[in-house]
Amino acid sequence: MSILSIRDLKVEYATQDGAVEAVDGVSLNVAEGQHLGLIGESGCGKTTLLKAIVQVLPRNGRVSGGKIMFKGMDLMQLPAAEMRQLRWREIATIPQASMDSLNPVQRVGSQLMKLLRVRGGFDKRAARRRAVDLFDMVGLDTERLMHYPHEFSGGMKQRAVIAMALALEPSLLIADEPVTALDVIVQHQILEVLRELEEELNLTVMLITHDISVVAQVCDSVAVMYAGRIVEQAAAEPFFASPAHPYSLGLQQAFPNLARPRDVLVSIEGYPPDLREPPAGCRFAERCPFVQEACKEHDPRLEIVGDNRLAACLRTNEMDALRVQAEDPTLWQHVEVAQLVGQPPPKSPPTGQCLRDPIAMERDLNAPPLAANSVETLPLPDASDARHRDGGKGPGGGVDDILLEMRDVSKRFKIGGGLAGLLRGDKEQTVYAVNNISFTLRRGESLGLAGESGCGKSTTGKLLVKLLDASDGEIVFAGEELSGVDDKDLLAFRSRVQLMFQNPFEALNPRFTLYRSLTEPLIIHGWKDENERTQRVVETLDRVNLRPAEVFLDKYPHQLSGGQLQRVVLARALVLHPDFLVADEPVSMLDVSVRAGILNTTRRLARELGLATVYISHDLSLLQYTCDRIAIMYLGEIVEIGPSDEVINNPQHPYTQALIAAVPVPDPTVENPPLRIREGVPRPTEQFAGCPFAQRCPEVMEACLSVRPPLIADERAHQAQCHLYGEHHKSPKLNHDGAAPR
Amino acid sequence: MQQEASVRAEAPSKAAIQFRQGSAIRQLWETNLEVFQRDRMALFGLFIFAVFAIVAIFAPQIAPNNPLTPLKNNEGDWIKDAMPYWLAEPGEDEAEGYSNTFLLGTTNIGRDIYSQLIHGSRSALLVGFSAAAAVAVIGTVVGLLAGYYGGWVDAVLMRAADVAFGIPFIPFIIVISAFMDPSIWNVVVAMAVLLWRDTGRVIRSQVLVIKEQAFVSAARVSGASDLRIIFVYIAPSILPLSFLYGSFAIAWAILTEASVSFLGFSDPETISWGFMLQDAFNSLALSREAFYWIVPPGLCIMLTVMAGFFIGRGYEEVLFPRLRRM
Repeated sequence: MSILSIRDLKVEYATQDGAVEAVDGVSLNVAEGQHLGLIGESGCGKTTLLKAIVQVLPRNGRVSGGKIMFKGMDLMQLPAAEMRQLRWREIATIPQASMDSLNPVQRVGSQLMKLLRVRGGFDKRAARRRAVDLFDMVGLDTERLMHYPHEFSGGMKQRAVIAMALALEPSLLIADEPVTALDVIVQHQILEVLRELEEELNLTVMLITHDISVVAQVCDSVAVMYAGRIVEQAAAEPFFASPAHPYSLGLQQAFPNLARPRDVLVSIEGYPPDLREPPAGCRFAERCPFVQEACKEHDPRLEIVGDNRLAACLRTNEMDALRVQAEDPTLWQHVEVAQLVGQPPPKSPPTGQCLRDPIAMERDLNAPPLAANSVETLPLPDASDARHRDGGKGPGGGVDDILLEMRDVSKRFKIGGGLAGLLRGDKEQTVYAVNNISFTLRRGESLGLAGESGCGKSTTGKLLVKLLDASDGEIVFAGEELSGVDDKDLLAFRSRVQLMFQNPFEALNPRFTLYRSLTEPLIIHGWKDENERTQRVVETLDRVNLRPAEVFLDKYPHQLSGGQLQRVVLARALVLHPDFLVADEPVSMLDVSVRAGILNTTRRLARELGLATVYISHDLSLLQYTCDRIAIMYLGEIVEIGPSDEVINNPQHPYTQALIAAVPVPDPTVENPPLRIREGVPRPTEQFAGCPFAQRCPEVMEACLSVRPPLIADERAHQAQCHLYGEHHKSPKLNHDGAAPR
Repeated sequence: MQQEASVRAEAPSKAAIQFRQGSAIRQLWETNLEVFQRDRMALFGLFIFAVFAIVAIFAPQIAPNNPLTPLKNNEGDWIKDAMPYWLAEPGEDEAEGYSNTFLLGTTNIGRDIYSQLIHGSRSALLVGFSAAAAVAVIGTVVGLLAGYYGGWVDAVLMRAADVAFGIPFIPFIIVISAFMDPSIWNVVVAMAVLLWRDTGRVIRSQVLVIKEQAFVSAARVSGASDLRIIFVYIAPSILPLSFLYGSFAIAWAILTEASVSFLGFSDPETISWGFMLQDAFNSLALSREAFYWIVPPGLCIMLTVMAGFFIGRGYEEVLFPRLRRM
């Protein structure tokens, strides 16, 4: 019996350029006790659908057709007062970024009790009892009822929000991106809470997300939305085993999977259609690798294609064959992937082999010379030079190949000091952002930095490009120590080291045309000739697959999509032909369907240009895909480092083990193991006598509390900074609760 | 490939490139244009300023008499307290031995009020624009330096702003006037010394926001110098804000000058609207119901101040689009 039934729903937004049908004929049934995951890229109408169900559409939006039936009531016909009664009591929602919606000046407990008393009719004592129960249920300490939101961590806030949503025992819970923007360990814990509650309370859940692995972990059925329509609907297991729509196929191939790493991820090229003028035929036709003439004329309807499965595609009867074809990544991304596929697997060091590819060979002609101290010598090195440089490098190469060396680098920040702090009587505190880290990077090598937020990985990135200066230790780049460089050498360094940013919407000056943004580095480095500059800019845009480049020159950033912008950001980083690129969360702000494209381009160009790369990301599967080596950071220290495959498949440090266990797998048949580590990262202002991870460590021993584990000595091999592998490994174990020192 | 690239490189026309180079200035111009296109009130404010500017420039040509010289009748006596010709009883002027052509009458020492009003626009605009320019320029520079460099530069400048906030404005001008010769420039100096504080603070906070944006870090990673970052990347984004505070400062300056003159701390040799009001007040024009002496300068002050605020409001709407809904 379906609790929510949507029939042919249409939602229209009035905009300056006419009406946009953000949801266009969606039909959906949610049965009692079902856990439905709604996936799709941003702008496909997921959130609009949610808003239409609870009738909180913005003022310019309206339901222009169709029916929403909830428990036999037609929600569209319901008077506003009754609808208000229904919300929260019957249909509870967890809106996007809801953890920021807690009132900061009220205790979390009193917010919850107020809700219970006003909306639920509880009296004071019953409300308190219920609040305690609810906090218990979502795994929060009941003492926390007395705390203010700022005393909660992100994960705890999200738990509190879930508790509030469930306070009145709704029959349907709609959660919009409930774990996005949370760290992977917290994300895992929240998903666990959701999973437990689903079972315990027999909740009906509709989960809206862009992340198919989240759906795989908590949902039993899936609906895929694309451009305002549902294109596929199925039970979770068959959906993940054999998707029935080309878009679903693409989404699955675009997702990195730790358990089953792919050599090449695909990106679904192109963009969703403009819904102001929807195409006559299939909406996915333009991006579909299996498109036929008929697809452009006939609009496929959502039809039954098998047991309990619906799909909207003209070629559903050929789907088995298409699935096989879809395994070939070149199908999705023609040129780019062809180059990656024609090369050795990503894990092995880049070799001269890429020269087999004629396009890559021509590109290599433009690679910068090694000793590019003055920018004038940059363009047009001769081909033999480039080839010579490309040959025989990589992790196995000689010492000469070391491009960058970090030696015991630390970065400390002082907070609460200064004149104002002095007057206020604040105590100056030191934040240990980066603590004694050391590693080396060879030419052409890629290293991934991973860890929870606040672990110091971004600070490390800024130290590497000298946006920040190290407090201690040495950073040696191409044989030169960086702390003492003069202005001229610094400028030369700046031409060889570049940074790629997380948020492409902020990384470009909104007042500059793309041409201006890209030509700035050249002007700064003394390229006087306008024509030469233009030539280099055009060439670089072409390299990052923005073609034809001329079209982009006069555009402003706001005229481009996120994926295109990130390519421009990459182009700006590469326009000076650097030797070293730091990419800080390069794709975390982008839609899944275009992520792989950016990563593939970056990887390809790094290989072509012999670029050493440091990727900074919280996403281990992404790092496994892009990096030769991975370093795991915790509280400013590198706790484990080694070749990517080894770190992922055979993690040594308990923290790494927890991080890997927490990554959701896009496969409903694989259930993540329960995490054994405790929540809550200590403050970065704390100093530890022993191991900084001891407070959270499931393997904690006596020695861990008092003795620092030895620093990683040889980072080329797979090593962890942990007593389990040192002389103290026989130290008596502590139980988990006894582990909390001080 | 090389060849191909160079062929492509020629594709963008010369004109297009030049167009691109001028883009920063062009954008600033466009922002200003947008303010006046979007907002009728701002346009009206601009119109008021334009009218007063023309009047100020051609004041000697427009004004029928010297504003400071007492007018005399046939017998050589001052024409005191003449009514405007449209109010005076016909024939009265001939009986007194002069011909009444005074649009707004004369003062108690026989000065032509209309001519004073015309000349008053000169000091109003002079004070208004120079004080506004001083406030906007000092405030912008302080804000940029404090926001961008931070640290002790910020500490010193912002503590100086705190001090400026602590000094009461009008008494400060009175003190300045006491030490210096009376002049309308006292007001300009006082405003320049004190009123940069608001502009400086606001611009500093804006710079702090912009400075943290990734495109500024990107410029630094590309090797851009501090000055380049400040003037090429940050300044264009905060200039509209300077204009906003500048246009408010025009209004403030004119009001302040009027207040100071009214309190009697102005130069008796320079005619300003505030001075006219003070003159009228002292000669008991109110009790004689000489509204033609009091209302016109008051109205002029009001109009110019309004014009300043209208334009400021227009900038605000473009800068902070959320205001538009209210």
